[in-house]
Amino acid sequence: MGKEEILTVPGRYDQIQVICQFVAAGAREAGLENDDVFHVELCCDEATTNIIEHAYGAEDVGPIIVTYEITKETYTVTLHDNGRPFVPDDVPEPKYPKIGSVSNGEALDDILNSLQIGGLGIYFMRKLMDEVYYTFNGVQGNSLVLVKNLAPEDHK
Amino acid sequence: MTISCQQLTGEVWVVSSYGRLDHSLNPQLEQSLSNLLEKKRNRLIVDLSHSNYINSGGLRCLVTAWRQAREQGGDLILCGLNGRMEEIFSLIGFDRVFTIRTTQEEAQQHIVQETKNT
Repeated sequence: MGKEEILTVPGRYDQIQVICQFVAAGAREAGLENDDVFHVELCCDEATTNIIEHAYGAEDVGPIIVTYEITKETYTVTLHDNGRPFVPDDVPEPKYPKIGSVSNGEALDDILNSLQIGGLGIYFMRKLMDEVYYTFNGVQGNSLVLVKNLAPEDHK
Repeated sequence: MTISCQQLTGEVWVVSSYGRLDHSLNPQLEQSLSNLLEKKRNRLIVDLSHSNYINSGGLRCLVTAWRQAREQGGDLILCGLNGRMEEIFSLIGFDRVFTIRTTQEEAQQHIVQETKNT
């Protein structure tokens, strides 16, 4: 049997913790382990930051609607906003320093740039979630979907 | 949920975070590090042993301060990362940017040795 919960909050930084608590509670209910719960929290933190900074461009411009759904196989979080389209695929993968290039100023600038354009948050989502996809339509706005697969022993 | 700054022997300062390094705590971390660097206190240890969460904003604070410390001829090194924090640092290659030591004492030894001749 599936289960779905919805949370609507104003698009403000002080709501990130509320969102994290909401998705973490769902993740625990789905049977995810602590490290996976942390991954979900971090990815939702980064996604919410991107919504406020890039889709809305400021705080208190519009709401953020967060949904989680638990099925037998997956734990899925959807973050929804009415802001400008934000296409994660358009954000280049950040470049990271190779071993031994610690003092390489160019590689560091790449890191700093990627940290500033929200690229690192998207990188975390791609690495820490099993599936990430994004949809936009003119009526409903942006939806970012983050999926964690549940191992068979996680099922409750 | 706080950031503390403490001077160790010599010119080494340790900045300790207590709580999640997220939107509520990162501004304090940034302010503490920039206050020290403005006064040319650039031999810095950031002790993360009381934090088990960091987001990209927290990582940005650390790398920005690391760069400033190095530009001043000092360094910023880390200690006390738990397994979860280590995972995040290695995922983005920051374990190769920062010098990371297990304990504050080891970090102190390293930074004193490293910056002795500068």
